[in-house]
Amino acid sequence: MKSQKALISWCIVLGIIVLMTIFASFLSSYEPNDMNLDEVYSSPGGGHLLGTDHLGRDVFSRLLEGGKVTLTVASVSVLVSLVIGVLYGGISGYVGGLVDTVMMRFLEALITIPSLIIILAFQAFMQGGMWSMALIIGVTGWLVTARIVRSEFIRLKDAEFVKMAIMFGTPMWRIISGHMLRNSIPAIFVVTLFNFAGAIFIEVSLSFLGIGVPPAIPSWGNMLYYAQNDILIGAWWIGVFPGIMIFITILAINFIGEALKDPERRRLDA
Amino acid sequence: MTVKWIGKRMMMGIIVLLIVSFLSFFIMHAAPGDPAAAFYGGNAQTLNAAEKERISRVFSLDRPVIAQYGTWLAETVKGNLGVSYKEGRPVSTILMERLPNTLLLFGVTLFFISIGSIWLGTTAGMKEGSLWDKGLSTVSIVTSSIPAFWLGILFISFFAVKLGVLPSSGTGDIGGEGGFVDKLRYLFMPAAVIILTHVGIYARFLQESIKVESRNYYVTVARANGVAEQVIRKGILRNASIPYLNYIGMTIPSFVGGSIIVESLFSWSGLGQLTVKAVVTKDFPLLMGGILLTGLIVVVSLFVIDLITYSLNPRLRKGDVR
Repeated sequence: MKSQKALISWCIVLGIIVLMTIFASFLSSYEPNDMNLDEVYSSPGGGHLLGTDHLGRDVFSRLLEGGKVTLTVASVSVLVSLVIGVLYGGISGYVGGLVDTVMMRFLEALITIPSLIIILAFQAFMQGGMWSMALIIGVTGWLVTARIVRSEFIRLKDAEFVKMAIMFGTPMWRIISGHMLRNSIPAIFVVTLFNFAGAIFIEVSLSFLGIGVPPAIPSWGNMLYYAQNDILIGAWWIGVFPGIMIFITILAINFIGEALKDPERRRLDA
Repeated sequence: MTVKWIGKRMMMGIIVLLIVSFLSFFIMHAAPGDPAAAFYGGNAQTLNAAEKERISRVFSLDRPVIAQYGTWLAETVKGNLGVSYKEGRPVSTILMERLPNTLLLFGVTLFFISIGSIWLGTTAGMKEGSLWDKGLSTVSIVTSSIPAFWLGILFISFFAVKLGVLPSSGTGDIGGEGGFVDKLRYLFMPAAVIILTHVGIYARFLQESIKVESRNYYVTVARANGVAEQVIRKGILRNASIPYLNYIGMTIPSFVGGSIIVESLFSWSGLGQLTVKAVVTKDFPLLMGGILLTGLIVVVSLFVIDLITYSLNPRLRKGDVR
C-alpha cells in the first residue's frame, strides 16, 4: 500500500497550497499591490520573506494572492469543460449510431488543433478579465472529457444492470443520471484532475506571454512575465518562487491522478 | 488499399484545415472596427454614408458572411493572405521568413525527444522492476510537471546572466556572419528546455507499452522455444512502437502549443513568436496567417506519423481500415 501513502501525502501538499491561497490575506503582512519604492528589488529575508519586485511589492503576498487567481481561473474553466464534455460525450455515447460517428469525427478534427492557438485567437479581440479567460480555457478544454464520457457510456450501455433497468421501465433520465453517469464518476474525476493541471498550465502560459489575466491582477503567470526582465539584472527570487509553486501544484495533481488512475484503463491517457 | 487509406487520412486533414481556416476567418470578422474605415485609415471620418456603402459593395462586404468566407478561402488557397497591418508587407512573405526557424526548432527537438525517449523507454521497459524502471516512472512525472518556459527562465538566469556562456535570446548575432555554429549557440537553450520537459513523458509511455507487450503470450512462447533474446526484443519493440507513435500523434498539438511559448521567451524568431506578437499588436491578417500555417504544420506532421504507423503495422495494410 505504498501508493496509498503517496496519494495521501500528495493530497495534503495540494490541500496546503489551496488553503494558503484561500487565506492569503491572513498569512501575509503586506497588501499584494502595495508599492514601496524605497525597497525595490530587496532580496529574500529581512522584512520581506521572499523579497520584493521592481515596484517594491512583497513577493510572498503576491505569491499567495496570485495563487488564488490562478487556481480560481483553473477551477472555473475545469467546471465549464466538465459540463460541456459530459453533455457532448453523453449524447454521443447514449444516442450512438450515425450521430455518434459524426460527433466523434468532429471531435477528432478539433483535437488536432492546438488549443493554445484557439485561445490566442480569442484573446486577440476579447482582452477581457480573468472570467472571460476562464471561460475560453473551459470552452477549449472539454475534448478529452467528452471522449472518456462517451466510452464510459458505451461500456455501461451494455452492462447487465442497465439492461435490467431498461427492462423494468425505469425512466430514461434516471438511467442516465443514476446508472450511467454515476458509474462514470471515477473516470470523469481522473480526467478532470488532469484537465485542472492543464488549465493551470494554460493560464500561466498566457499570462506569462502578457495576454492572459490583466497585469493589475497578480497571478503566477503574471509574476513570471515581469520576472523575464528581472532575472537579467540578477533578481532571481521574483521568477523562482512562482515557478516553484506552479511546479509543486502540478506535480501534486499529476501524482494524485496517477495514483487514482486504474492501470487497466490506459485509454484515460490523453 | 493503400490509396484508399491515404485518401481517408488526407480528407481528415483537409477537414481540420477547414475548421482552422473558418476559425481564423471568424476572428477577422469578429475583430472590432469597420473594415471600410480601416481601409481608408486617417481619412475615414471624411467618408459619408453613400461612399461607405459603395466601398462595402466594391469589397463585397455587403454579401453574406459565408460568401465572404468562400472568396477569402479561394484567395488563401492561392497563397494570398493579405497584408500585415503593422509591417505593410504581404503576410505570406513574413510567414515564409519565419517558417525555417520554426521548422528547425521543431525538427531538432522532435528528433532528440524521439531518440532519447526510445533509448530511455526501451532500457527501462525491458528490465521490469529494476531501478531504471521505477526511476523513470517518477522522473518522467516530475519533469513533465515543470513548465517549459519557467525552466527557460532559470536557464537564462544561469547560463546567460551568471555564466554568460550562451546568448539569452534571439536567432543569431546581429551583423554576424550567421554561420552554423552561431545559430547552434542560439538554438541550444530553447531546444534543451523543450527536450528536457518532454522526453520523460514520451519515454514513460514507451516503457509502459513495452511492459504490456512483454506480458503477451507470444513472448513467453518465443522464449520457451529458445528464440534469441535479440529477436524477441526486436519484436516487442516493433509492436510497442505503434501505441507509442499514436501517443506522439495525439500530443503533437499540445507540443506545438508549448513551443510557441518557448519561442516567445527566447525571442526565437519563428511562427510562434510571430503569432503572439500579432495578438499583442492586434495585427489580424498576420494572426490569421500564423494560425493557418501552424494548423498546416500540425496536420502535415500527423500525416507523416500516420504514414510511419501504417508502414509498421501490417494489420492496417491488410485492409483493416478504420
